[in-house]
Amino acid sequence: MSVASADVVAAPAKRSPSAFLPWLADNGVFVFTAVLIVFAGLFVDGFASLDNMTTVLNRVTPIGIVAVGMTFVVISANYLDLSVVAQVATSGVIFIGVSNRTSIFVAILLAIVVALIYGLVNGIAVGVFKANAVIVTLSTTFIGLGVLRWLSGGSVYFSERPIIETIGTAKILSVPVAMILLFLIALLMSFVLNRTTFGFTIKSFGSNPDATRLAGVRTSRVVIGAFTVSALGAMVAGFVLAARSQTAVSAMSDGYDFQALAAIIVGGTSVFGGKGSVLRTLLGVIFISVLTNIMVLSNWGFGLQQMAIGALIVAAVSVDALARRASTS
Amino acid sequence: MSTTTTGIDFRTEQSSSLSAKLGRFLSQRSEARGLILLALVAIVTVIFEPGVFSAWPATLSRIALIGLVALGLTVVILMGELDLSVASTYAMCGVVMASFDNLWLGIAVALVVGIIVGVINAFFVVGVGLNSFIATLGMLFFLRGLGFVLSDEEPVRIANADAAIQFGRSFGKITDTNIPVIGQLNAKMVIFLLTFIAIQIYVTRVRSGRELYAVGGNRQAARDAGIPVTRRIFSGFMICGFVAAGAGVINVLERTAADPTAGGDVLLQSFAAAIIGGIALTGGRGSVLGTLIGAAALGMMQVALTRSGVEPDVQNIIIGGVLLLAVTTDPDTLRSVWGSVRSRRLAATTGGRQTAT
Repeated sequence: MSVASADVVAAPAKRSPSAFLPWLADNGVFVFTAVLIVFAGLFVDGFASLDNMTTVLNRVTPIGIVAVGMTFVVISANYLDLSVVAQVATSGVIFIGVSNRTSIFVAILLAIVVALIYGLVNGIAVGVFKANAVIVTLSTTFIGLGVLRWLSGGSVYFSERPIIETIGTAKILSVPVAMILLFLIALLMSFVLNRTTFGFTIKSFGSNPDATRLAGVRTSRVVIGAFTVSALGAMVAGFVLAARSQTAVSAMSDGYDFQALAAIIVGGTSVFGGKGSVLRTLLGVIFISVLTNIMVLSNWGFGLQQMAIGALIVAAVSVDALARRASTS
Repeated sequence: MSTTTTGIDFRTEQSSSLSAKLGRFLSQRSEARGLILLALVAIVTVIFEPGVFSAWPATLSRIALIGLVALGLTVVILMGELDLSVASTYAMCGVVMASFDNLWLGIAVALVVGIIVGVINAFFVVGVGLNSFIATLGMLFFLRGLGFVLSDEEPVRIANADAAIQFGRSFGKITDTNIPVIGQLNAKMVIFLLTFIAIQIYVTRVRSGRELYAVGGNRQAARDAGIPVTRRIFSGFMICGFVAAGAGVINVLERTAADPTAGGDVLLQSFAAAIIGGIALTGGRGSVLGTLIGAAALGMMQVALTRSGVEPDVQNIIIGGVLLLAVTTDPDTLRSVWGSVRSRRLAATTGGRQTAT
């Protein structure tokens, strides 16, 4: 299964110290995740219980889907997509609210339309008008959440469709369906990123936008595509999140934007773009979820947790930046 | 002079009609966008909510706090960098200040901490070579967490609220923002205006301040021209951190309590003010005056919307929309987008070779 294709030109296998940093940047996430899980299993009380593992896996799934989609945006060197917060909540509310009134099919259709709109608006603003993605997605988040809260009045929606509960709690061989969905999506995204022209143009645009444009690629389409992928990912995550608890509310996706970004970065995808993989993002999600779980089990307050995440992000990016320096010096 | 099949080359035929002059003004001055918005908001406000003008101290007060953070941000953005950590610096330094019994000491320490935050940010950008977006994003989290840890996750009352009020009295009641200091302006607004003047002078008249534009416009060229880029970047971030800390301090003095969750809107609104005012996020373009105009437009709009009873959610939609519009309508990019649309249309219609404009 070649999901784990390395998207980076392999550094020559010399044993000098300057090869360590690039190695760390590329492979650190694998090592650290494994070490973290082992450490937690041995030393953290309550980690290795079935209940806890289920909690962690449940957390991983929606964030993982969002992060996998947003990876496309990050690889295209467009920083991130902050509007996932608004999109996940909107999709969840549509899924539950609209399906209560009409049918699930209509709800999903509407959610797809909304996702395409987000992808288009973000993509055009960033791709055609060359605006800064952080500000653009920040403003679309405000518009999106404002519209959602205004239309929904902030109310909580409870599903009246029993099939949603069935989907939400179903398990195949005691693995939640949602997790299987995550894997399938990750496989699909990885395929798109590594084996299709579209994926290739995203990576090439991320590492060298001018060369890509000169090669005849319509760069605006690339950017719109990246944001659309991110939007579709957020949409599915919204479905998953809503189905699990059969409820939806506008605040349900709080913090998803930064958590997804943190996962992507920790996973080794560079903010500078051009380099990265879906598998890494998945590992990054697992790492952060396990880490958060450990902190919660160890009774770390919100403040300490935030400090840890902040330090982690800076450390991960520093390793990447220093590795770049080491490999080019 | 070039010939195209579509007629006038508007670069060489410059008419001096009013509309042409206006068009040139709009596309060349970076503050133009902010002025347009300000004019629009002012007109709409005069028609629908004239109360905003008669109660102008309150409006100015609203502008002041966000404008203060935006001023510091402007300095960093002019250099071509971003500082997302301002919201957390704002909150955390407020907590730091409130943790001291001695008010003056608390304020001094908080401001110094703000400067240190700037130093750390600059170190990551220059020393480690990080993208300032990510570095300051990480700091945003880290500092927010630190603020929570320092305050034990609760709002911290100023240890000596009476001293705060005394301090306020000696300066004309900083803690009660409705009481004027100079004429009708209260202390917060005075500090804002002074900061604006200081930064404006620094960026336009002082050599090291003017060099910030070069650092943002073309860093390599700036280096080649002998500008100490590293030092400038450090001073830029330090100014931003200092100003953000100052804004946080003022905020705490107003409420006599420091809330570690403060600064939620600060990030969006200060960026919005700067961008509406014409700052280019890529650096090297824009003005401090523009930020002032942007803050004024934003503040007036918010006060008018609140007074006319518009719900906060709809207000957010409007602010988000304005920001989106502002950030996509950079005159330079619009020109190039228009240019590429034109050339594509030309290629389609003429089919053969065309001389480039």
